[in-house]
Amino acid sequence: MPKTLYWIQGGSCGGDTWSLMNSDTPDPVELFEAFDIDVLWHHALSSTSATDLTLLNQRILAGDQHLDILCLEGSVINGPDGTGRFDMLPDGPRKDFIYKLAQQAQFVLAVGTCASFGGIGAGSETMAGGLQFNQWEMGGLLGQTYRSKAGHPVINLPGCPCHCDVVVGTLSVLAADGVVKLGHYNTPTDWYGVMVHQGCTRNEYHEYRVEEKQFGERGCLFFYMGCHGPLVTGPCNKALWNRRSSKTRVGVPCFGCTRPDFPQQYPFFETRNIEGIPIELPDGVSRAHYMAYKGMAAAAAPKRLMERKTNI
Amino acid sequence: MTTIQKIIPLNRVEGDLEIHLAVDRDNVVTMAKSVGTMYRGIENLMKGRGPLDSLVITPRICGICTTAHLNCAAKALDMAYEVSIPADAHRLRNATLMVEQLQNDLRHLMLLFMPDFTRPHYADHPLYEEALARYRPLKGQSTVETIQETKKLVEIIAILGGQWPHSSFMVPGGVVSVPSVSDIVQCRHILSNFRKWYEKRVLGCNLDRWRAVKTWDQLQGWLDEKPAHRNSELGFFIRFCRSAGLDSLGCGHDRFISAGGVDQPTSDGGIRPLFPAGIFTATGTMPLDPHKISEDVSHAYFKQTPAHPFESRTLADPYTEDGRKYSWAKAPRYDGKPAETGPLADLLMADIPLFVAWVRANGASVFIRELARMVRPTLILPAVEQCVAHMAHANAQFYTDTRKRPSAKSFGIITAPRGILGHWVVIEDGKIANYQVITPTAWNASPRDADGVAGPWEQAVLGTTVRNPNDPVEVEQIIRSFDPCLVCTVHAIRAY
Repeated sequence: MPKTLYWIQGGSCGGDTWSLMNSDTPDPVELFEAFDIDVLWHHALSSTSATDLTLLNQRILAGDQHLDILCLEGSVINGPDGTGRFDMLPDGPRKDFIYKLAQQAQFVLAVGTCASFGGIGAGSETMAGGLQFNQWEMGGLLGQTYRSKAGHPVINLPGCPCHCDVVVGTLSVLAADGVVKLGHYNTPTDWYGVMVHQGCTRNEYHEYRVEEKQFGERGCLFFYMGCHGPLVTGPCNKALWNRRSSKTRVGVPCFGCTRPDFPQQYPFFETRNIEGIPIELPDGVSRAHYMAYKGMAAAAAPKRLMERKTNI
Repeated sequence: MTTIQKIIPLNRVEGDLEIHLAVDRDNVVTMAKSVGTMYRGIENLMKGRGPLDSLVITPRICGICTTAHLNCAAKALDMAYEVSIPADAHRLRNATLMVEQLQNDLRHLMLLFMPDFTRPHYADHPLYEEALARYRPLKGQSTVETIQETKKLVEIIAILGGQWPHSSFMVPGGVVSVPSVSDIVQCRHILSNFRKWYEKRVLGCNLDRWRAVKTWDQLQGWLDEKPAHRNSELGFFIRFCRSAGLDSLGCGHDRFISAGGVDQPTSDGGIRPLFPAGIFTATGTMPLDPHKISEDVSHAYFKQTPAHPFESRTLADPYTEDGRKYSWAKAPRYDGKPAETGPLADLLMADIPLFVAWVRANGASVFIRELARMVRPTLILPAVEQCVAHMAHANAQFYTDTRKRPSAKSFGIITAPRGILGHWVVIEDGKIANYQVITPTAWNASPRDADGVAGPWEQAVLGTTVRNPNDPVEVEQIIRSFDPCLVCTVHAIRAY
């Protein structure tokens, strides 16, 4: 029996779909074929007519069409004033349709930060929310106690966009009847157990506190340029983007896009600090020991790094 | 009953779009409304933020033209901080922007447009079986190849800018990345492989052979010349469109707006656009004057504010009782009138004879819009190659120091994959006081204006005869020929 998949967009830029298209082994075509996934509907990939889509939707909601995996890309738009009128389908607010679909699905995936936590538009007039979280708070559209038909909470796959390996990996596990182990904020530990910073080619700069103060200088971006690499989890430097690089490797600070508060309310490209020391230190460190270590590390910094001879 | 009303939700567009139609007893469309059904409120998210935040937030307007929004935001900040960026920074920005255009043109064609040829509507068409073999969603040979080839192409953006989609490597003063010569060599290899695929499979000939096609007789000659031409994506597309009558379907206002080609650094330290920005009509062209751009909200769910994007605001009016209003897309106007944008507008401003002659004689159509998209790479690809080649030198400089200014009023206008894109920013006390975005799809998807004049694709749909009013494939194809991106219609709608 093939596993059925329904992919729906909420308040979305479409970036998670195009990120998925980056996938290489397997690419999406190979993925669906190899794991016998029947794509009932995907806004960019299906050629179903509007009439047939309406019929499909009716069959799913009536329980006549089995639905294994529901993916939401984009936020749930609740505004204005909780009405959902900022995002309408022909027969009502989209949020109501998403809610009904989720009651029929064996598994529900929130693909990207918007679907997971609200993301772009959270806390604004559009009242963008996630499926089971509103930023840090559990709840969201489906509520804290929601469980999909197979008995699981929403599986959150944050990232703006979500890395293709995460989507492909999670779908592969589910299609093979495996278990997705969830950690903080119901994200799979396989991809969200690692800090973004891990694997960054600028780690040697970080070790010796050789910090970048101006764009293009080359150095660690943590102390001055607003990098969230040591603060948030995600596979960017483990899996790399487009098989090639990552933002931090080329000198773009990590913006913390997997975190429930993305996009942060304080300015990007600068580190909030008290007398030059970041307010937020790497996840879990002791402030006093970290400061002592950084002071000694800076004093021990090799000349070749200070002079950027490594060309990284 | 003389008319029936239909609401057509459209898929294979980026985002959410409905077309409301009235069709008479002869199945002729007598009324069309383009209805953006979603409001994401992104412009208002910018208010009160640090100016550089536009480099992070605005790319998230659209997941397929994210680099274009980044470029536009960076250009607006260059102007705000009165900085001119180094030549190599121009080249790097240009290369990534144009790579994004290339992937978009091909993905739109093969993944979003061509699948219409596989629908039951065309089951009796002699080329239907071949269309199925090529374009069946997730299965067709061309579909699969396009997915594979375009993802390799965007690796260039990852090498030069960290990732695609959604990076923020362009900043006022240039770009943050400092690619090594070996990085640039990698980009050149990727481009060279892409060119081989594009020439062999999409064109069926090399770029020079295609560029020699300057008249419609020569096009026929090209088609007849050899099977490789007839059987390429381009050859198949031309044969299918003509026999299905798509070359006379979907004429709009025939007034086109283009932001012109990328700013290319010249050897004497200046800047020359790859092709000029302007307005094209059958009677001639005019250079683009940004002051003539305005937005009308008479038929959109927004409150009235001044019309020019420096002064206008985005004030959602969801509970309005004004019965005229029907869309979350505003109506951009140039000199008070609607204009169509996209690859066709670009090729007209680039004065490509084949397209100028066709539009002068026949007006726009589904066929000519998509043909423009299919061959725009013949203009863009050599320009990307040149940018990348010129970057590969030891003294390349990618950033120049900038001084932030507490207040400024500036804008950036560029050519995004789907046409003209503009960002307008007002900075006060070091923070964003107003941010307005006018996307290509806003131009094309615009609703009526205060004079009652329809938007470009509303106009293009009017008068169309549909075979089956319950499944009006013709109307969908007309809309898709504009490559709708409603996610982009920020205030606005979601439709790719």
